[in-house]
Amino acid sequence: MECIVQGILETQYVDALEVLLQGLCGGLRETLKVHEFYLKSGNNMGSVSSELNLCCSLSGPQPVWTVRHVGGPMRGAASDQLSALVRSIFEADISNNGLRFLYALGYKLDYEILRTGFSFCFQRVVPITVKVSCICRLPKLHAIDEAVPVTPTLYLVEVFAPASADNYAEVVAAISSFAEFLAPLLHLSKPGVFTGVVPTAATAAASLISRAALK
Amino acid sequence: MPVKWLLYWQPSTGSTVSSQTLVDVMKSIESINGVRTGRWQVTASNHRPIQRDQSMGLPQDCARELLGLTFSEVPSKHYFILRGEHMVVEAHANMQNIMEKLQLYRNRLNIFFEGFQYQLGDFQLKAGRAVLAHSENLRGIVLEVEYVPVSSLEQTRLLLQEFVEMWQEVVTAQNMAGRFTPLEPNYSDYNLPDQYSWQHTALQYVNLMVYFLHAQRN
Repeated sequence: MECIVQGILETQYVDALEVLLQGLCGGLRETLKVHEFYLKSGNNMGSVSSELNLCCSLSGPQPVWTVRHVGGPMRGAASDQLSALVRSIFEADISNNGLRFLYALGYKLDYEILRTGFSFCFQRVVPITVKVSCICRLPKLHAIDEAVPVTPTLYLVEVFAPASADNYAEVVAAISSFAEFLAPLLHLSKPGVFTGVVPTAATAAASLISRAALK
Repeated sequence: MPVKWLLYWQPSTGSTVSSQTLVDVMKSIESINGVRTGRWQVTASNHRPIQRDQSMGLPQDCARELLGLTFSEVPSKHYFILRGEHMVVEAHANMQNIMEKLQLYRNRLNIFFEGFQYQLGDFQLKAGRAVLAHSENLRGIVLEVEYVPVSSLEQTRLLLQEFVEMWQEVVTAQNMAGRFTPLEPNYSDYNLPDQYSWQHTALQYVNLMVYFLHAQRN
């Protein structure tokens, strides 16, 4: 299970966000370069149709393959009151023949993207991860060297943390309080709830960059 | 990772496999100063695809059978084998949860390989029985031989062959009617390299599970 909020940030303010995150975190920046495959189950396979995400992280010396299954969000009146989306998520590392394996189980490639950017991890009540990424489409099958940003002027920012049925309210509160630090630069909301860019971003970014330059 | 050879007990004509065979095997290991170091278990499972609509049939290119393996020695990993596609896949144990969520394949049966392990110089031996889960129906007796210092299949081939021959003399001296036989490993069909890994081990256990199930049918 995970709790997640997300928002968008204009590309020109990404450096300022990085300065802010660096200041909050103390330097545990990780580079992101992930080839993501979105797969759908084939006709008549399985008792229900399903979707699966296979990620190949290319930021380390060796590619790391991970299967992700994102479940439906928590529903009901109580979840409406939460400021973050709570959803089930399962992840499992898999050997480098994972894509061929999933094809053999009847999955078909729906689409693929390349995600580039960076992430920070913060230890609060739980480890909170902030992922700042540019989403690129691939004009040809698997051609990550020819990847083109889907929205060149915008970056996706995701803030998420692992949770359980016992502690998700506490985790949501931790994420919300963390999101306040980022509020001058961007709005964070539940996935699917579009909140746009914030008017204070330019001023906040200028201030962060000038302070970073002074150090 | 050290190379392992998996052998199964082939009784002589006229004799049968029983739980007593395993007791005799363990006595044989102890007779040559094998030191019991613990228990072990391997779970092998067989899964068949689930179809939403029985009348439609399955897509042509999807696997008709999915085999799974877990080892008590590496509980964080799960292994999948697709025999038709000649594929061995290593995944984190969480992959089992994902497969349950997906409801693509249904578990048909499980076989447990379980017993005791022994240290014998540079060799580690695992003697055990193969039983159908829930029914305790004995399917066979197995012996896993591991030569601890070497990871190359090619380099250990002769040495393990010699060990198996020596072992046969021990078995014969104990008046056991039969012999331990290896199933010819087909690693190259699955593109597995010379450096031995858990994927090789998974393939050996799956081959043996299929052999035991097939032998029972015949």
